[in-house]
Amino acid sequence: MPSRIFKKSWLIKSIFFISAFVILIIGGTTYKKIEDLSQSSDLLTKTYKTNVELEKIFSHLKDAETGQQGFIITNDPIYLEPYNIGRENINYSFAELKVLGSDNTTLQNNLKELNVLIDKRMWYFEKSFRFSSVGNYNDENFKENFLNGKKTMDTIRGKIKGMIDTGNQLLNKRQEAYESNLKLTPMFLYVVLLLSLMLMFATYSKIISDLKKIKAANEQLEIFKESTKQSEIIGLQGNWIWDIEERTFTYSDNLYRLIGEKPQSFQPTLDNFVNFVHPEDIEKFRKDIDRMMAKNEDLPFIYYRIIQKNGTIKHFKTCAKLHRNLDGKRQLLGITTDITTEIEHFKTLEERNLELERNNKELSAFNYVASHDLQEPLRKIQTFLSRFEDKEAHKLSESGMMYMDRIKNAATRMRMLIDDLLQFSRTNKADKAFELADINILLKNAQQDLAESITDEKAIITSNKFPSIKVIPFQIQQLFSNLISNSLKYKSKDRIPEIRIIYNKAKASDEPIILNPKKPYYHKITITDNGIGFENKYAENIFVLFNRLHGKHEYSGTGIGLSICKKIVENHQGFIFANGKPNVGATFTIYFPYL
Amino acid sequence: MHEDYINIILADDDEDDRLFFCDAFDELKITTRVKTFNDGVYLMDYLNAEDSVFPNILFLDLNMPRKSGLECLKEIKKNDKFKDIAIAIYSTSASEEDIEKTFIMGANIYIKKPNDFKTLKKVLEEVVTINWQYYTNGLNKDNFLLRL
Repeated sequence: MPSRIFKKSWLIKSIFFISAFVILIIGGTTYKKIEDLSQSSDLLTKTYKTNVELEKIFSHLKDAETGQQGFIITNDPIYLEPYNIGRENINYSFAELKVLGSDNTTLQNNLKELNVLIDKRMWYFEKSFRFSSVGNYNDENFKENFLNGKKTMDTIRGKIKGMIDTGNQLLNKRQEAYESNLKLTPMFLYVVLLLSLMLMFATYSKIISDLKKIKAANEQLEIFKESTKQSEIIGLQGNWIWDIEERTFTYSDNLYRLIGEKPQSFQPTLDNFVNFVHPEDIEKFRKDIDRMMAKNEDLPFIYYRIIQKNGTIKHFKTCAKLHRNLDGKRQLLGITTDITTEIEHFKTLEERNLELERNNKELSAFNYVASHDLQEPLRKIQTFLSRFEDKEAHKLSESGMMYMDRIKNAATRMRMLIDDLLQFSRTNKADKAFELADINILLKNAQQDLAESITDEKAIITSNKFPSIKVIPFQIQQLFSNLISNSLKYKSKDRIPEIRIIYNKAKASDEPIILNPKKPYYHKITITDNGIGFENKYAENIFVLFNRLHGKHEYSGTGIGLSICKKIVENHQGFIFANGKPNVGATFTIYFPYL
Repeated sequence: MHEDYINIILADDDEDDRLFFCDAFDELKITTRVKTFNDGVYLMDYLNAEDSVFPNILFLDLNMPRKSGLECLKEIKKNDKFKDIAIAIYSTSASEEDIEKTFIMGANIYIKKPNDFKTLKKVLEEVVTINWQYYTNGLNKDNFLLRL
């Protein structure tokens, strides 16, 4: 999740730049508008001032005219004063107007024309004065001048009016354009401002949500860090980081603990760590680490010992993996594990294995002794007995014959015991290969082995079809053979022996008798007979070595046969159970794991 | 002249067994010449001698001092001049290991020493009257151990 946030930071950046751009535009536009406004108010003032000055000029001219008329009527020079002052004032106003119209060529041209007209008017005044001062009012020239003066005055009036109108028109035009401009501006500014506000809000909410995510990620990271710390302590692990660019090590707290030191109690450098490495392992350790640091490559598992300050030797296992973070920075992340207990366990296990091997050797030596050395004298006893019987029996008394029979029986029984014991000790799986075998054939072979007694007893054996199962074949044959002969031996005297052998696939959960099933399914084989059966309280005892339910004179037997069956079934990770009912029969149930 | 007798050799360190063996042949109505040796060394010395008469059937006990039956079997099978001798392993034990080993090494039949005299006679009669040429062709691991 954090990486997604980092990748999205371009969005925030672009929103920031867009917002900044928008604010710049707003600033620029506002400046431009204000500039326009001040320009336009300047123009207004100028136009009004121009108008006022123009009106002033006209009013001065009128004053001059009135004065002139007064003078003409009264001939009193007092009336000439407005004329004289008027002339001065007109010049003064002209100077003002020139300044005001410095950036307006139309006004300048108009002023020039006005100036000519005013000069002309003044000239007519002068001329009229000259005639009027001598009282020649009826002089043609005076009349003409006077009339021309009036005409010029009218032209001036028209001119000034025209000039004021032109000024006003220009002002109006500007005003209109400005006003229409002014109407749109606030709208535009408002929209842009709104837009940038929205963007800023979006950015804000994005930043807040990202912050939340980062916080959540941070919390997770914290939890993870804590759990890593705990698992390091429990798992006897320490981790370290080799920063390739910075060329520095970082050790976790537990790494210090593993070497028997307080967390972060010394500088995490390679040399400081090597100080703890067992002198015999230093050379190889250095070589491995140097290669890792030189080539920046993964460190495969390396094994070495360290010596803690208190002298305890620990076995360590270390490996490291190259890691590239989001910024492309490379680090080697390493894990060091204290495997001292594992190694000790391994050593104990090895010792036990050796012991077991020794025991097995002793056992097979015993096997050999039993099979060869014990059998040989017994065989000779039996052979000599048979020779003795053939050649010397007729010389014996009745009791002598009986003793000989007893000796023979004892010898036969001893042979049986030795044979069965041998078979029991040979029923091991260690050196026997499991192979896929047709169980039907193994059952048939077992029946063939017992063909003689099956025929003698007229026994009926029925079975259904078996699948092929991965087993130790001769042991399974032995198993069938032992169970069938067991059924034949403990047959009921009143009935023909019947043995039913049934196979089916069973679900472990449906078989409550299996207490700790290791597989979900089992091959289930039941062997049921109609023999003498047994009390169910003996159901477990009958599998115990040398355990017999009947006296050896009633039923011959060594008490080994069913023990062999149990051993065979256990060799196959299976279970065998017996269930009996006196005088009804016995059922043996066998389970083999369904692989 | 040789054709009338079946030459039989037994190598066995056990005096009783040699006795039973000879007694059994004495009682059987087969014309045989039985020679016995006390161990593998005596046997091989005899077989390797210039003037020795090779037996038709050699009965080899496995467990003998000085030179065991297995060693003898190995030496005999290595030497081509003994190729016509039928070799019967004659041992107290019938462990699968011994049966398998001797079968692979080329013995012709494996006899577990019987534990009464009548059976012994029956076994020896059976073995001596076997047509070896025919028998060896059909030999496999299952019929290698003699069962009566």
